[in-house]
Amino acid sequence: MAAPQPNRDFVTTIRDDGSRPFLFPADTHGRFTTARRIWSLLLIAFYLSLPWIKINGYPAVFLDVALRRFHLFGLTLAAQDVWLMFFLITGLGFSLFFVTALFGRIWCGWACPHTVFLDHVYRRIERAIDGDAIERRRLDEAPASGGKLFKRVLKHSLYILVSAVIAHLFLAYFVSLPEVWVMVSAAPTAHWSAFAFMAVFTGILYFNFGWFREQLCIVICPYGRLQSALIDDNSLVIGYDTNRGEPRGKVGTEGAGSCVACNRCVQVCPTGIDIRQGLQLECVGCTACIDACDDVMTRLHRPRGLIRYDSQTAFAGKATRWFRPRTLLYGVLLLIGASVATWALSTIRPANLGVTRIIGAPYIVSADYVRNQFLVRIVNKQNGPAEFLLHLDAAPAGLRQTGLLGPIPVDALGEVVQPLVLQQPRSDYHGPFHFTVRITDPAGHFHLERQVEFLGPDVRLLREEEEEKKEHHETRH
Amino acid sequence: MSGQKITIEYNDRVVRQFLLATVIWGAVGMLVGVLIAAQLNFWQLNFATPWLTFGRLRPLHTNAVIFAFVGNMMFAGVYYSTQRLVKARLASDFLSALHFWGWQFIIVCAAVTLPLGLTRGKEYAELIWPINLMVVLIWVVFAVNFFWTLARRREPALYVAIWFYISTIVTIAMLYIVNHLSIPTSLLHSYPVFSGVQDALVQWWYGHNAVAFFLTTPILGIMYYFLPKAAERPVYSYRLSVVHFWSLVFVYIWAGPHHLLNTALPGWLQNLGMTFSLMLWAPSWGGMLNGLLTLRGAWHKLRTDPVLKFYAAAVTFYGMSTFEGPLLSIKSVNALAHYTDWIIGHVHAGTLGWNGFMAAGMIYWLLPRLWNKPLYSTALANLHFWIGTVGILLYVAAMWTSGITQGLMLNATTEHGTVLAYPNFLDTLNTIRPMMLMRVIGGGLYLAGWFLLVYNFYRTVKGAAPVNGTIEVYDEAPAPDAKLSLAGTFFSAPTVFWFLAVGFGSMWMFGTDLVSTAGIVGAVACLIAAFALVPSRSKAWGGWYEKLLLNALPFTLLVFFAVVAGGLIQIIPTVLVQKAKNVEDRIQTPYTPLELAGRDIYIREGCYLCHSQMIRTLVPDILRYGDYSRLGESIYDHPFQWGSKRTGPDLARVGVKYPNVWHLRHMEDPRAISPGSNMPTYPWLLNHSYNASVLPAKIKVQRMLGVPYGPLTAQQIFDSMDEQAKGIAKDLRTAGAYVDSDKEIVALISYLQTLGKSLPVITKSAPR
Amino acid sequence: MTPTPKPPLPDENDPLRPHSFDGIQEYDKRLPNWWLITLYGSIIFWAGYWFYYERAHIGHTNAQIVEQELAVIEATRLANAPVLDDASLWKMSRNPVFVDAGRATFETTCVSCHTKELTGMIGPNLVDRLWIHGGRPTEIYATVTQGVLAKGMPPWGPVLGPKKISETVAYILSHHQEGEPIEVQAAWVPPPPK
Repeated sequence: MAAPQPNRDFVTTIRDDGSRPFLFPADTHGRFTTARRIWSLLLIAFYLSLPWIKINGYPAVFLDVALRRFHLFGLTLAAQDVWLMFFLITGLGFSLFFVTALFGRIWCGWACPHTVFLDHVYRRIERAIDGDAIERRRLDEAPASGGKLFKRVLKHSLYILVSAVIAHLFLAYFVSLPEVWVMVSAAPTAHWSAFAFMAVFTGILYFNFGWFREQLCIVICPYGRLQSALIDDNSLVIGYDTNRGEPRGKVGTEGAGSCVACNRCVQVCPTGIDIRQGLQLECVGCTACIDACDDVMTRLHRPRGLIRYDSQTAFAGKATRWFRPRTLLYGVLLLIGASVATWALSTIRPANLGVTRIIGAPYIVSADYVRNQFLVRIVNKQNGPAEFLLHLDAAPAGLRQTGLLGPIPVDALGEVVQPLVLQQPRSDYHGPFHFTVRITDPAGHFHLERQVEFLGPDVRLLREEEEEKKEHHETRH
Repeated sequence: MSGQKITIEYNDRVVRQFLLATVIWGAVGMLVGVLIAAQLNFWQLNFATPWLTFGRLRPLHTNAVIFAFVGNMMFAGVYYSTQRLVKARLASDFLSALHFWGWQFIIVCAAVTLPLGLTRGKEYAELIWPINLMVVLIWVVFAVNFFWTLARRREPALYVAIWFYISTIVTIAMLYIVNHLSIPTSLLHSYPVFSGVQDALVQWWYGHNAVAFFLTTPILGIMYYFLPKAAERPVYSYRLSVVHFWSLVFVYIWAGPHHLLNTALPGWLQNLGMTFSLMLWAPSWGGMLNGLLTLRGAWHKLRTDPVLKFYAAAVTFYGMSTFEGPLLSIKSVNALAHYTDWIIGHVHAGTLGWNGFMAAGMIYWLLPRLWNKPLYSTALANLHFWIGTVGILLYVAAMWTSGITQGLMLNATTEHGTVLAYPNFLDTLNTIRPMMLMRVIGGGLYLAGWFLLVYNFYRTVKGAAPVNGTIEVYDEAPAPDAKLSLAGTFFSAPTVFWFLAVGFGSMWMFGTDLVSTAGIVGAVACLIAAFALVPSRSKAWGGWYEKLLLNALPFTLLVFFAVVAGGLIQIIPTVLVQKAKNVEDRIQTPYTPLELAGRDIYIREGCYLCHSQMIRTLVPDILRYGDYSRLGESIYDHPFQWGSKRTGPDLARVGVKYPNVWHLRHMEDPRAISPGSNMPTYPWLLNHSYNASVLPAKIKVQRMLGVPYGPLTAQQIFDSMDEQAKGIAKDLRTAGAYVDSDKEIVALISYLQTLGKSLPVITKSAPR
Repeated sequence: MTPTPKPPLPDENDPLRPHSFDGIQEYDKRLPNWWLITLYGSIIFWAGYWFYYERAHIGHTNAQIVEQELAVIEATRLANAPVLDDASLWKMSRNPVFVDAGRATFETTCVSCHTKELTGMIGPNLVDRLWIHGGRPTEIYATVTQGVLAKGMPPWGPVLGPKKISETVAYILSHHQEGEPIEVQAAWVPPPPK
């Protein structure tokens, strides 16, 4: 029996007994189907190719967690720069807000990896092996047979194969392709954790794309819901033109609207809804119903667009307002965010500098000096060896520096940690003072600095002690 | 008298009062939150003033947003919905007024005492004992008022929202009382009766379930009333309500130890905490599903109705944080995330997204109904939603990035895993500093959204006349056959199966060989029997449950048994184990009187909010801080100070790591010692003298609690303090620093220098 | 594990439950089965986990696991610096591979106090026969690793690791002869400033 007619009270994909009816959405053809397919194949190609493309000697995207170096399109970030990831997350978030305010859940239908892989890889495999929607349903309901078994094994093997390929390339983003190859060539026990990750990740992908499918969008995914809450009357959504379509009726019915109640839009829906009931939780904006309806309308020589991308305002017969306080605000916020991100990226230096006090006493008083000891950490983020010069700024007269006096060589992507020892003659010490530790490259193209405080004993105590010593001296002579 | 039609006027006055308090305290609590988040970036914002420092304001923030903001919101929602769900006015106007004014008085007391440094030193349980007594009293007033109203109900059956309210009232009373058991040493100070690992377990049993039964169950109840009302849709599934309610209240209680994973807490408790946290995922998502699928039928209204927007987002954030929670409870994930900002982000996704948005949705829905006037501006409410969502996005993204970055850096090693890659804690702190700033911006935006609500509230209410809801009911006696006796409650198949399952399960878990085998056999038999009976008996059991819903007292008793099980099974064995035998291989030496005075200063300044004293059984922890902490090393700590966050490094073994003068200079100006530190300055510790006179009373209470102090006279205590303090002052002078020996800093240094000193236990059988 | 009471099946024709609370009605939909399976699955996981760790004691305790990991680290340390006795440190000090590696570390890390010539300045002279904290190779190794906090010599163990420290000690020893007399020095007196 066909799935029950979708309605507002029931979730089509949860049956009365709690089981899940598997949907068999029918094929669509048309401009959106074609456009989406081309676009998605481009996205998939992009995803799959990144680990293969090398820029500056590293893969275009290589998140080297083990060495805490992150290579992004030629830019190399150290662990200290990981906070820039924040801009990636919030940038994606903001863009999503902005795009949603303008175009509704366009992300879900056009760019979400779940939809892209499901519609353009897994469903294609299914279509090729099991046939169209009617054949798929028939096969599903057919009793077990050799032919069915063969098709099932073939289909699921291909699912697992594709899942494994996606998972391996995902891993390549973190360990690079050659390393993945090394791991694949070795026994699973040799790289046990990577193997387990791969097995689990492949399993999750297989389960998700092979069976779970639209349940992820309906129940699990928070973004779909947030997007729904971010839509307003002027946002573009996929909708049904009630004014034009209603009342429904077969061709030739007196007083009927454009909708011929052919139910085509329901048959093609991958989440099991009837778009004619308005905006619903499940709709991922996949455009299948647009193409299906346009197809029917074209054949009936009626204008296309009974189901179309449009705003609720436009469906109600008014003009969509593209420039609204919200879209302007988002635009401004996005610009601000982009500027801050650009600025933040420009603060990335080819090196990192850290100055910390050496563990133990904060200062040491010797016969002639007050001494402070620091550890200087310099991280070279460049792909070649580099030299750095260290300077002390705003240091008072008499301050003696030992250590780090000459050029400091640092290996490519390497770190050095070296002590910086500073001594101030007792007679010149008049209390704590601040100074700046600055490093530059020999050419002076960039600099990094840290402010540090030089500490010593209470000056009164220091003088007292000196007086005592002097007296001691004088009495001896 | 039966059948007579009467009109009831609801007590909506108290609802309006609580609503107003919600709005005000919400603004205050969030404002303090933004301030302390800013203090983490700009230490100058501590203003070198004792009562404005982070360590004292952080408890004010948490207590204000939990008990003042969500508390008042909960009371408003509970009182509004309960009256309508049971068709009865609140039982007593006096109790309602007492509840309101009493609660506000408690909040004011808290807002005064916490900045003054009067604290019990346990998170979300900081309030001092006289205030604890007031809280208990007012909670009892709430309970009496609520159950009395239930007793006078005209609606025979209890709706799911009421179930959640009942579980809240019962469980919070239990948790609050047990975790606040203390013995006073003065009017303003007390020591908790539990110490060390026991205190840790009780604290997180309380802390975790404060989240469960203060921030979750009452809000779920509120969701079950306000969400279908606003959506004008039926609730998706009654059956789902039943399953997720009982599984939630039963399972939640067990999960507390996930706050103590990889610590010195006994392994069996950690394993229980982790597995029950994983079990909690499905029940939590049951609530989310029910809310979401109820909203589903009104999805098209989401575009225009800000109330529904808030609810949809709130339910979504509830789902996200209850997915993240079990994930963070997995030991290996926890090893990375615990003590970092990730946890802070997790909590705020829940509080800002779930609690804050549920509150906003409820307020926007209630305002027109309580003042009989349309909301002043729907556009502003929409703007509030956008700004709030953006704020949460920034906040949570910043905290994820920060937590994961710091966790990875703290755990990173080089030289074949033998040396830490970032041995200096400050390297990791300074890396996440930009994230801390983003969090202030995110929090600030969220607060700005709240101010929009305040303004909208003010403009709506201004000049409007308050209006009380009424209903016409037939005054009739309840049907006589509806009574369920105690026997009928407890000797019914579902209850018996439940008791048997928990009993057999416990036998299997904890029994010796024979008992354990009997337990597993019994549990399996029980399971098989229950499932075998489902097809034939499910109708009868359903009927029994429907009958139970007509009986508030039996229902409440069953809730109590469901929530008490987890606590009993975890806490009783831990408390009963003889202290001296349960120490592993090291035992703490009791503090000298001066060290104890220093410890109370440490607690007063809230040091535990940024510094843990618990080196976990993890290699990076051990490489960084020293040998892992043993149970015995904090066995005499009333209260325990294991901490829950490492904004600064762990201090469990900081003793004798640095010279005294290091600590002195560090407390005076942390940046002088550690360039780039974000710790506040504590100049007053160098000027104020410690109060020795309270020590005899404190040591007396410590002895009473079982800390092995000899019979010291007051004079001996004073002499000992004086001698130790003079020794430290002399050492400081040798190192070039003047400080009088009676200053607080000296006591604090003595405490810090003793941390990590403990004695090996030679023979485990011979108690000291 | 806990059998949950099941309400009766709703009337076939009316999906709504008969009761209404303040206008709120309830459907009685079944839960998605996959959701129920996650609940049952987590209960089964609990039972298995508990059996593994607490009943059968197949899984190790946290302390056991971390002790094992620490043992592995200790073994790695030993493998990378198999030189914790005087004889092998002396042997290393005659091997140019170790000495050169040690010189590199010394000249970046130690020279600021001990000078490039090892003759001492802030810190003591390392080429004479006077030793304050012991002159045997293992004693030198210990001093470098643990430091002398009171004098300002930091513990280098956590920063350099055992391999680099043993190389550095070898470099220092390369300025000495095995068997030369060791004299105890009370304290280092820095040379007067130039």
